[in-house]
Amino acid sequence: MVKKILEIENLKTYFYTWAGIVKAVDGVDIDVNEGETLGLVGESGSGKSVTALSIINIVPSPGKIVEGKIIYKGRNLLEKNENDLQKIRGKEISYIFQDPATSLNPVFSIADQLMEVIRRHQNVTKTEALQKAIELFRLVEIPDPEIKIWNYPHQLSGGMKQRMAVARALSCEPKLLLADEPTTNLDVTIQAQILQLMKSLKKKMGMSMVLITHDMGVVADVADRITVLYAGRVCETADTKTIFYKPKHPYTIALLTAVPSLALRRDKLAVIPGTIPNLIEPPSGCRFHPRCEYAKSICAEKIPSLEEIEPKHFVACHRALEIDIKSPLGVEKTAL
Amino acid sequence: MKTKIKNQNKQNKGASQWNIAWRRFKRNKTALTGAFIIGFVLFLAAFDTLIAPYEPNEIPAFYTGEARTPPSSKYLFGTDNIGHDVFSQVVYGARSALYVGFGAAGIAMAIATIVGLISGYYGGIVDNILMRVTEIFLVIPFLLILLVFLKVITAVAPSGVGGLSMVTLMIGLFSWSSNARIIRGEVLRVKQQEYVEAAKTLGASRIRIVFRHILPNVLHIIIVLTTLLIATSILVEAGVSFLGFGDPNAITWGQQLQKASEAVKQAWWEGIFPGLFITLLVLGFSLLGNGLRDALDPRLRE
Repeated sequence: MVKKILEIENLKTYFYTWAGIVKAVDGVDIDVNEGETLGLVGESGSGKSVTALSIINIVPSPGKIVEGKIIYKGRNLLEKNENDLQKIRGKEISYIFQDPATSLNPVFSIADQLMEVIRRHQNVTKTEALQKAIELFRLVEIPDPEIKIWNYPHQLSGGMKQRMAVARALSCEPKLLLADEPTTNLDVTIQAQILQLMKSLKKKMGMSMVLITHDMGVVADVADRITVLYAGRVCETADTKTIFYKPKHPYTIALLTAVPSLALRRDKLAVIPGTIPNLIEPPSGCRFHPRCEYAKSICAEKIPSLEEIEPKHFVACHRALEIDIKSPLGVEKTAL
Repeated sequence: MKTKIKNQNKQNKGASQWNIAWRRFKRNKTALTGAFIIGFVLFLAAFDTLIAPYEPNEIPAFYTGEARTPPSSKYLFGTDNIGHDVFSQVVYGARSALYVGFGAAGIAMAIATIVGLISGYYGGIVDNILMRVTEIFLVIPFLLILLVFLKVITAVAPSGVGGLSMVTLMIGLFSWSSNARIIRGEVLRVKQQEYVEAAKTLGASRIRIVFRHILPNVLHIIIVLTTLLIATSILVEAGVSFLGFGDPNAITWGQQLQKASEAVKQAWWEGIFPGLFITLLVLGFSLLGNGLRDALDPRLRE
């Protein structure tokens, strides 16, 4: 029996804007096992980041968590007060942002920023904190850590900054790392390096990770399991192989089809027709139905529930068992 | 080990934004001119007893019958009708000008910073209330209310209260509002930055976020505004004194101007020198302020 480190049940996070209530996350169920990496995949605006921000309860205003449970190690985080949450953030659960250029404070040196977190959560002296910070720099494989640590963010390259952000997030050896598109703003070679680094650190420290991305290639490489989100709802959850080779939800299939691939030799890039729906008045029934080529009348009428169609393979689609389409990637072992 | 780290610390300190700003500031000729002027006035204020040949209230020319004589080698800036040495009074006026400038700007900027930070960071109803109060202060005709207050205080308060400190306090209390709005705006911008959110994800408390993550990032604006407000405060004090609402016993350039205004045609030197120094010092702070703005603006990267 694998222990679950995080269980999200029926999470609803709404944004109360002047135009109406934006239902950014509307009944999401996610769980993360101890030691695993969960890939959270979806288009822009599908509610990936809001879900992650909801976990540590820092949804920016006018957003609000309306309903749901976020159970971390058996305790519901939504019932905790701000003070307790501050002790959990950064220590137990850490967050890595998409853009390292803006997630580091420009007026402080890297050393100051690392030491700040270390001294916030651990009872150490300044000198010890500095030692730890330098250790962390070594850990994230930055050359000459003793020198580089006194640099300011603007003196570092993008990749270095993200390494530094990783170091900061890992400074207190968190049990759960939320990585919100950590490689999106980096070029491909650096991207691979950072992913590799995060993978190895995850193993070394024995933590769990939620990796948010819209890049199917990234999750294929890093994630153990994948949850696909669409318009604030979960479409499909399964282990990585199943998602890639035996997807059941039409949206997952569409996403996979849209991945540019050399093996498939298409002339044009495949796209999913339409755009992500307006979340103030989302489509009735299944939220994907207006864009879905397999939609039937029932799809517009009834909201599909998340069903376990195979062991550990959850799909929210009325027609999951009826339609039978092959993964665009073919059978297992095909090169991506 | 400890000393080793400290040494490394010194050697490897990267170029912070302040270092970069300083480098940029050093190249700015006008800003350096401003700093030089302020330095000169500071020097006058610091060594006034040594520089001025006479005490501020001494009337050396009275006894020799040299009252209201034009500048000469004996009386560098001439003398007034009572027999004061204008040069000595100008020198002693430097300290008052700086006192009023730094005092009033200090008070005003302290209020503006606190109001701006709280209003900008907390938002919502707190912001609403603070901004309405700020607006009330904005619409009050500044000089008029200042004069009324000073008149009332000198009339009501027992003798001894009032004087230059009261003028300074009043200027400070009535000139923070527009700066509070500017700081608030800047806080609103910084608050949206991802590093503030990142600080939250790392478990920083609200107070820590405000003072350690937001304040340092709006500090450049505060510095520039302070410099410019010093210039304005000096001008306002001169204006108030000139209109006869200041402290008549204080030795300030404004008071000298006021006394000189009686006899502009007969004795130009009585007014021109304090006037010149007011202009010079205000110009100095303005140049410095503009230079600092250029140097500290994070958008202007070299």
